[in-house]
Amino acid sequence: MNALAERYADRRVGSIFIYTHEAHPGEHYPHLTSMEQKFKHARDLRDILGVTRPILVDALDGACHRAYGSMPNMSWIFTQSSVPVYKADWTDVHSLENAIEYFLGVIERRRSGERLAPFRVERLDHRIQDQAAFYKGLERNGPKAVREFRAAFG
Amino acid sequence: MMTDPELLSRYNYDEFVPAKFEPWMRFAFSPPLGGPAQDFPLWHLDGRETSLAAIWSHHTYTVVEFGSFT
Repeated sequence: MNALAERYADRRVGSIFIYTHEAHPGEHYPHLTSMEQKFKHARDLRDILGVTRPILVDALDGACHRAYGSMPNMSWIFTQSSVPVYKADWTDVHSLENAIEYFLGVIERRRSGERLAPFRVERLDHRIQDQAAFYKGLERNGPKAVREFRAAFG
Repeated sequence: MMTDPELLSRYNYDEFVPAKFEPWMRFAFSPPLGGPAQDFPLWHLDGRETSLAAIWSHHTYTVVEFGSFT
């Protein structure tokens, strides 16, 4: 995702990460009880997991996150005029890049004189499932996070 | 900033069990594409307040990923 942000930064496509709540709280990263703790976890996301995009912290009650569907790792694309044009219940770099290319193409097509009207489309995209990396992440949160995930999903 | 204690504890659930995380999987009820998006306050890591609209106003398109350390 960082590389995607860098690839499109000079084409006026911005990228941010909104810090929400702990999806898999563990001994090392427990559930959030204060904004101070939320800022600390968000800084660790930057410093330990290497997120280079701007990280913005949501309110402690997740007002923004909840309004947009509160999925643990969803992605949206917004226009400059406050219109959401893409939403996905998970984050996948290929799906996002495909959408960005399409939307940038719309701008070019309009510039070349095409008259375009929006319409809605649904599509089932595919993301990479890396179980080893996922469990490594759970272990980083603490043994409780691993136990609870195994209990929930086997 | 909102401080309803009951909401805070439900949203910031303390264990990953279906009864606590499933109520938040509400993508099917998320806003439709094409309409005006709701704005919310957000905070930079240094504590400065901004907003979602302030962020997306700087770019033709803005990709927003939601998530956390865990």
